[in-house]
Amino acid sequence: MSILTVEHVSKNFGALQAVDNVSFELNQGDIVGFLGKNGAGKTTLMRMITAFIAPCSGRIFIDGDDITKHSLTIRQKIGYLPETPPLYSNMTVLQYLKFAAEIKGVSAKKQTVQLAKVLEECQLAQVKHKTISTLSKGYKQRVGIAQAIIHEPKLLILDEPTSGLDPMQVQQVLALINNQKEQRTVLLSTHTLPEIEKIAQRILMIKSGQLIIDQSLQSLLKGTNQQASMNTVHENSAKDENNQAKKLSLEQIFFNHHQEPAPTSSQTPIQTPSQYVSNY
Amino acid sequence: MNKIIALTKKELHSYFSSPVAYIILIACLLLFNVLFFMLIEQNREVSLRDIFQVMEFMFIFIIPLLTMKLFAEEKANGTMEFLLTAPLTPSMIVLGKYFSMLIFYSLLISITGIYYFIVEYYGNPDPYSILSGYVGIWLEGALFIAIGLLTSSWTRNQIIAAMTSYLILFSLYFSISFTKYFTGFSEEFLIQLSTRSHLENFAMGIITASDVIYYLAGIVLCLVLTGLSINHRLWQ
Repeated sequence: MSILTVEHVSKNFGALQAVDNVSFELNQGDIVGFLGKNGAGKTTLMRMITAFIAPCSGRIFIDGDDITKHSLTIRQKIGYLPETPPLYSNMTVLQYLKFAAEIKGVSAKKQTVQLAKVLEECQLAQVKHKTISTLSKGYKQRVGIAQAIIHEPKLLILDEPTSGLDPMQVQQVLALINNQKEQRTVLLSTHTLPEIEKIAQRILMIKSGQLIIDQSLQSLLKGTNQQASMNTVHENSAKDENNQAKKLSLEQIFFNHHQEPAPTSSQTPIQTPSQYVSNY
Repeated sequence: MNKIIALTKKELHSYFSSPVAYIILIACLLLFNVLFFMLIEQNREVSLRDIFQVMEFMFIFIIPLLTMKLFAEEKANGTMEFLLTAPLTPSMIVLGKYFSMLIFYSLLISITGIYYFIVEYYGNPDPYSILSGYVGIWLEGALFIAIGLLTSSWTRNQIIAAMTSYLILFSLYFSISFTKYFTGFSEEFLIQLSTRSHLENFAMGIITASDVIYYLAGIVLCLVLTGLSINHRLWQ
């Protein structure tokens, strides 16, 4: 069943086309990696899905509800973690999560249960009485995820949840996200490509506002490897070809799609310092 | 309603978890006390009429300092996105913040209630005029807060929010001073626009429907405009 339907959505800010005619659907229980360079339009699209900003054209449905007509209802069904966790630094973790539960309409009866559940799930119990400003970045990120899931949303949207974390914290946050797939659909944007390979079932890749890849991770890696093998058949030996196919990863696919065009003859090529010095 | 209460509690927690609220409370009360005793000493009147007018002028300076952060800080910290993507309507957010500031302001005003007992100790004041004066100064503060809330919704910079509030509040306060340059409708308009002319009646113990409507209409207008300002941001 489709939880999120994005139909021909576009958004421009003046002359800048941030999102250009994007369409896709997400189904129940999907964990979807949303990839793209900085400025590709990921955050803008996520903000439209969360009804924070309106699309210029196209329609977005969450669980069958149009966001422009039922924005309040759909916000109840979405958990959202922006790129910078939206935390009140003078509150304790418990005060903040209680506040999040209250404004997200979790009934007084359910609040205690939900708070205990997210504190355990996000491993925050030991810091629940600490003021948020004193927490490490990893803990802050987990508090951000805890507020996003406290009302048990059907769709969880995470904008670069692993940004700025150390490798250990990245693992912890990704494990936490992976645990969500039983209960909800997850759309997460990230630059941690090797890690997303471990948890995502599907990849959406956006470039200059346009969706350029919408494929299951498995078929994406498999298909690209096959393509890569065909391209290199005349250039490499059979052994090298097999090695090349095995090495291709999501990271390489990403780079292949985002390579900058070679400078034209009218442009001055970029020189390394040693090249620059050798000219003199 | 529960969501508005949650927002109000969050705001109050934010004021009282920092020293700013206590500093402002203590500074205001010290200032009012000094002015109160100076006025009593000078006028030898068992009334609070003059202190209400002094308080009105002081609140023009104080209230923008309290309200400037209401939305500007949320925008600067990125928590506005959290509120606007939660299942809250703009009016819930506006009312939650407004009520919190109104509670803080009411607390400040209520502490000055001790002035009544001081003047009563020395003479026989008219309790009705003092009560109506308090109603007037409370309504005036409520209007100033609504104006501060509106200007805070326009920007992420707290200084700009405060300065814009000062501009509006001074315009309202001093509009009556420019009546000598106008006649007829313009003159009457400036008199009616001025907060001073409306508070004067309350301070004298006169509560008229037009004065109450002036404050209530101003408050409602500012709150509606604040809601629209947030809604515009939401669906820009």
